Amino acid sequence: MTTFSRRDLLRLAAGTGAAALLAACAGPGGSDTTDKAATGNGLAGPREGDISFAHWRAEDKDVFEKIRADFTKINGKISVRQDISPSADYQSTAIQKLRGGSVGDAFTAFRGAQFLDIAKAGVSADLTGQALLQKYESSLITAGSDGGKQLGVPYQLVFNTPLANTDLIGKAGLGEAPKDWQGFLALADKLKSQGVAPIAWPGGDAANAGQLLNVLVVNNAPTDDALGKIETGEHKVTDDWFLTVLKQYAELRPYFQTGATGTSSDAALALFAQGKAALLATGSFQVAGVRKLGATFGIDLLAPITTTADKAKYEGVHNATFILGVNAKSTKQGAALAWLEYLSDPVVAGAYANGTAQHVTVKGVEYTNADLKALAPWLTRKTALAPRFQFTNLDVRSAVENATVQVAGGKSPEQAAEEAQKVIDQKKK
Amino acid sequence: MKFKLFLFAAPALALYGGFFLLPAVQGLRYATTDWDGYSATFDDVGLSNLTAVVSNDDLFRNALTNNLKFLLVVVLGQTALALLLAVLLAVPTKGSRFLRGLFFLPTVLSSVSVAFIWKFVYDPNFGLINTVLDTVGLGSWKSAFLGNEGTAIFWVAVAQIWFHAGQMMIIYIAGINQIPPELYEAATTDGAGRWQQFRHVTWPMVAPATTLVIAYTTLQSFKAFDLILGLAGNPPRSGLDVLATRIYTTFANSQLGYAAAESIVFMAAIALVTYLQNRAARMAHA
Repeated sequence: MTTFSRRDLLRLAAGTGAAALLAACAGPGGSDTTDKAATGNGLAGPREGDISFAHWRAEDKDVFEKIRADFTKINGKISVRQDISPSADYQSTAIQKLRGGSVGDAFTAFRGAQFLDIAKAGVSADLTGQALLQKYESSLITAGSDGGKQLGVPYQLVFNTPLANTDLIGKAGLGEAPKDWQGFLALADKLKSQGVAPIAWPGGDAANAGQLLNVLVVNNAPTDDALGKIETGEHKVTDDWFLTVLKQYAELRPYFQTGATGTSSDAALALFAQGKAALLATGSFQVAGVRKLGATFGIDLLAPITTTADKAKYEGVHNATFILGVNAKSTKQGAALAWLEYLSDPVVAGAYANGTAQHVTVKGVEYTNADLKALAPWLTRKTALAPRFQFTNLDVRSAVENATVQVAGGKSPEQAAEEAQKVIDQKKK
Repeated sequence: MKFKLFLFAAPALALYGGFFLLPAVQGLRYATTDWDGYSATFDDVGLSNLTAVVSNDDLFRNALTNNLKFLLVVVLGQTALALLLAVLLAVPTKGSRFLRGLFFLPTVLSSVSVAFIWKFVYDPNFGLINTVLDTVGLGSWKSAFLGNEGTAIFWVAVAQIWFHAGQMMIIYIAGINQIPPELYEAATTDGAGRWQQFRHVTWPMVAPATTLVIAYTTLQSFKAFDLILGLAGNPPRSGLDVLATRIYTTFANSQLGYAAAESIVFMAAIALVTYLQNRAARMAHA
């Protein structure tokens, strides 16, 4: 029988270690690590099988479930499973899951960094030339294109503009929305004197605290892509225009609810729904949540105009997020495309829109939901594409948004800007 | 014979090599690249990632500072509370058994559940603490808790102590039950009071348990990831960012090479703190 001495075992261990080291050094990019193309003939593949639809909107689950059931009745050979992750997790880990191909045959992406990363990783199938694109408002799906290819279709159209309780605003004697910053502060003063918090702001919620930044930036910024230019170093948060934004956060301090910097999104939503706050500084994507809590008052959008009336370019902010795509790593791209085509049908898109209280980018949709009807005029008003999503680096975005929260919490705008800029200088491209 | 022994160990060695050694070596390799985590190509950057982490990264330094504050409060608070509970509940009576179970209960909850509970406790408008303060006329003491940049990490530490003190209490109870009763009888005969008995009998005799509790609590504190994400969201604000969440954010930011470098410094920090703690524990029980 063969026996091994201690020295032999050590040699074996050393050899194994060296092999492991070499294997590790080969790394993912040391050789050709391009992902193998998925089989299944791509988008032209068979329209059958069980597919996974990956997204982050748990609040849309029931509506999608009904749509999914109807889709399966029509397309008997395809069944759809919803794979829902919390939005923060989806932001962080979706790309890794999608690359595996087992999750998200059809998937959604956030506008900005995530969409661009997914495109760069070759996970998005090219939808250019597909018939379903004709069903969308072309001006509203540009966020789904990259490098001249249509890699996804933005499905939802949301307004990242504060929600307003029209009953409380009416009691404050407001005929029409304030046209300038002083008018907005006057309204906030009036609301505060009536015993309600003028603004419910989820300053303690990483995902939603930054929504207010959208409306405070659009009219102050020198260019529409100013936040993106902070990341590239062309602009700084210590520039006058951004200091103005931070100073306005400081001016809003007395008008936020108690403990605003520690308030979660759910708590801010509850304050607004219970009529304890007149404005909810998030966006139209929370209308359904407000109604779920039993609120019956009228809801409109009201953005603080941060300049004088003559200098204001925009009345609010919109965003085309929830970008639908087909996973290029999937072996069931044909079935996934069929699912997207079904979602693109105006009747189905209408069911989604009215069921979730979200506008959509699909043409010819009839809005029957009372809130959607009430907010429909905003579809034609002058709104800017949400600047917050121009950031592609999470650390830079966090540094900027942290500065706003710190100012709301009492820090001086100049100090917060200086500290944020130091981080941005270390992290920018 | 030796070969047979090796064969017995081979499955465990294979698992250890495949799931620990190989990823560790890969991590070292990635740390010297600018790999984003999914591209087919990357560039070698030598030690520049590590240099940047150590010398030119305010976010990492902030996370390390937060982590050390968190560690200090949790190790001291959790150890002291666990020992106090163990001393009070070491005698097995019906009441103490019930209380042991009660204090141990949070340990069996998931981190997400604990985060939900404490989110409710800390909420500035609907939260338990501020509501109670209002009720008893101490409204001026109300706080934003997790919204206070300077103190937020300490409030998370309180939640962590509540979460795990019961678990450490069990370790201490086991240690206390190992102490020979004759030692207490002798101390009583010599006229020692309860404090002196604790100081001169219990404390030295639970030294091994203390070492275990401190080491475990230290690791827990460095790995407090899910609780912080549950309480603070993702990515957490600078006041709540710790090393584990910092590395996760870097990874999510498609900077896998840099995240690997941060992980190496993270491991070094754990090793250093554990070593210093062990020395301090030996000195304290000498």
